[in-house]
Amino acid sequence: MTPRARWTAVLAGLSLALLPAVLPPIHPQAAPLLNRAEAQQTMLRISAIPDQNPEKLNRLYGLVADELSQQLGVPVKYVPMTDYTAAVSAFRTGNLDLVWFGGLTGVQARLQKPGAKVIAQRDIDAAFHSVFIANTASGLQPIRDQKGLTALKGKRFTFGSESSTSGRLMPQYFLSQAGVGLKSFAGGAPGFSGSHDATIALVQSGAYQAGVVNEQVWKSSLRDGKVNRSKVIAIWRTPGYPDYHWIAQPDLDKRFGKGFTGRIQAAIVSWRPKDPEQKQILELFGAQQFTQAQASDYQKIEQVGRQIGKIR
Amino acid sequence: MTTLPAMDRPWLRPAVPLWVLLPALALLPVMALLPQLIHGGGWDLLGRFAAAAVTPSLDPLVVGSALQGLGITLGVALLGWALSLGLGLALGLASSRTVWWTWGAGPAPAGLIRRLLALPRSIHELLWGLFLLQLVGLQPAVAVVAIALPYGALVARVTADLLDALPTRSLDALRASGAPPGAALLTAIGPPLLPQVLSYGGYRLECALRSATLLGVFGLGGIGTDLRLTLQSLAFHELWTSLWLLLAAMLLLETLVGWLRRRWGMPGRLGLKRASVGRRGREILLTALALLPLLLWTAARLEVRPQDLLQWQGLPGLGQGDWSGVLALPWADLIGTTLVMTLLAAALAVGVAPLLLLLAAPWGWARAALQLIWALGRLWPPPLTALLLLFLLQPGLITGALALGFHNLGILGRLLLEAVESTDPGAEQALRAGGVGPRLALLYGRYSRLARSYLAYGAYRADVILRESVVVGLVGATGLGTQLLESLSGFAWDQIAALLAVYAVLTLLGEDLSDRLRQRLLVV
Repeated sequence: MTPRARWTAVLAGLSLALLPAVLPPIHPQAAPLLNRAEAQQTMLRISAIPDQNPEKLNRLYGLVADELSQQLGVPVKYVPMTDYTAAVSAFRTGNLDLVWFGGLTGVQARLQKPGAKVIAQRDIDAAFHSVFIANTASGLQPIRDQKGLTALKGKRFTFGSESSTSGRLMPQYFLSQAGVGLKSFAGGAPGFSGSHDATIALVQSGAYQAGVVNEQVWKSSLRDGKVNRSKVIAIWRTPGYPDYHWIAQPDLDKRFGKGFTGRIQAAIVSWRPKDPEQKQILELFGAQQFTQAQASDYQKIEQVGRQIGKIR
Repeated sequence: MTTLPAMDRPWLRPAVPLWVLLPALALLPVMALLPQLIHGGGWDLLGRFAAAAVTPSLDPLVVGSALQGLGITLGVALLGWALSLGLGLALGLASSRTVWWTWGAGPAPAGLIRRLLALPRSIHELLWGLFLLQLVGLQPAVAVVAIALPYGALVARVTADLLDALPTRSLDALRASGAPPGAALLTAIGPPLLPQVLSYGGYRLECALRSATLLGVFGLGGIGTDLRLTLQSLAFHELWTSLWLLLAAMLLLETLVGWLRRRWGMPGRLGLKRASVGRRGREILLTALALLPLLLWTAARLEVRPQDLLQWQGLPGLGQGDWSGVLALPWADLIGTTLVMTLLAAALAVGVAPLLLLLAAPWGWARAALQLIWALGRLWPPPLTALLLLFLLQPGLITGALALGFHNLGILGRLLLEAVESTDPGAEQALRAGGVGPRLALLYGRYSRLARSYLAYGAYRADVILRESVVVGLVGATGLGTQLLESLSGFAWDQIAALLAVYAVLTLLGEDLSDRLRQRLLVV
């Protein structure tokens, strides 16, 4: 072996061994290890299904964590998730205390964690809509009624996440009502882009000819100028259905003190656009305000979920 | 002239060096079908992806997050690997016939343990990860154990096989002279076994880095998570920041392992040069000792605590279990698709690696380019390749096979090149001196001697690919993998259990088949 090769190898070993030492600390706030269990007891861990680009989620839930921490007087930490299913599982296993779920994932989470409490929804969530979008080169035109969805047969089509209510569950329900099964798309299967932002980008690029997204994300992308209107257009808006909501663990009152769950609800519902921080949060959520919600509001979702086999 | 039996007619059997190229025939159907699959909608995206390779994001925030992810991935790989080695060595001894004989027992317990170990081995680390996630929640320890379980069972099998294949003459002699069983085993079996096990162990560390990255892609933390999220949000500049860092770490690791392998006189992966006795025993021991504090420190940094694994959450209720619904799944179709995809991917990986090397033979720069492409193939987790391919191709079996094939091409190509470089150059030089072109000289000078062991390794790889086919379920219509992701998102435990059982049975059957094929290839 040549000296040069030997030195390369030694250098390789050294840099690999030292790499962790130069890294930024992984959990800066959880300092002494012994107190970790205790820290979990008094730290409110919030999260959300990853339905949009991570940068946006980090900004939004960082603000939410600060606001809640200020109003509730406890430390609040945002824990990012990489997929919808993981969010449901982490809620069930008690790794998350308060989560912004979609309609379907919320029902899944409540069924898996009996006693979990529905806290609040946005004003827009009682009758939420999805928008079918198409690449202009696909030749797809805006359609007038649900039956027009048959135009999507044989096209390359993508949903958002497998467990998304507005990006998969309800659109699949409306598609099947119109006689368009999952196998009727090009390639014999739809794609699953993972998130609404990804769906818009993929359809705009032409990788898929059509897709379906959450109306609020679509509108905010239009507003932010992220959508090239000469390349991607909306072709149909679905009827309304209940969607996103905050869900809390059943044991928060025990851990944080009597009435804590009620205080969370009161805090979220109190957010108004006249407060500058709360205004920013509401804008990112695409809503005017939050309102109280009950489990019974989501019966329709549970019913469709069972029909499509996503809830058992 | 008497007629030869059909098998021995020379014109029916291709010459040995050509064997390695036969699997590349799988390119023909793929080429024939590809034009129908290309929709070309995403050329623009692919161009942006490629262009971003030279302009990765240098934003300190992005680089910091990628470095932190890389640190977690490296830590998980290191811990999972070390745990799997410990587990594997212990279980390997426990499942070795020779060991049981030495203690005066029959081979029955060895066989039993060996059969029990087949189960953890047959299930992909990703599935272990997802299962443990349900059982104990989102803990850093989950990824570590997810790697350690299947890897440990694999190391155990390899250790037992190596051990039982060693000649027992010196062991018998020691036992006959009255040495206690433990001491006799250590003295007689230790020295010849160590280099082979260490060589295999080093190779497993490289695999562990790939597995840890893949687990991240599915949300278990580390740089894989960054890769998935940046690709999904089409943030290609940020994606390449992570990719280049990961590539550097992978190449450094491979260089280090390769250097140690040569320094300690251990056999290469394809086992062409058998070094029976390792050198520098003291140095090996010191390295192992130095590894211990590093492991403890890494565990503390990643907050991996074994006791966290004991806090079981209890799986969500199975409900009544809709078994008729499980039976109603299109099993024949799912299994058929999975098998065809596996075979296609294996044939592509095994056949295309020697073909490309042959094509690049005359030019040094082409060989260097090939090495870079192979490195990217190894680096890039198959689900991400699959997502990229969807920019250009329709979802389905071939897209999945291409993604799996590309990843394994990277692995096989590197091993092939390593083996080619370590074979005796004499024959090739003689051919070259005789005026034969560089390609033919490589083919007849080197491939002919490698053919059998390379194909035997390819048979083993096919088995690994079958297990891996679950990870490209993302691209849709790829059989069991796609169905499994769908069942997972619906929390359909009955379906998941049935799918896992089918996977385990298929993998074990595949393992048996590939074992037989390998034995025929090696013992002719």
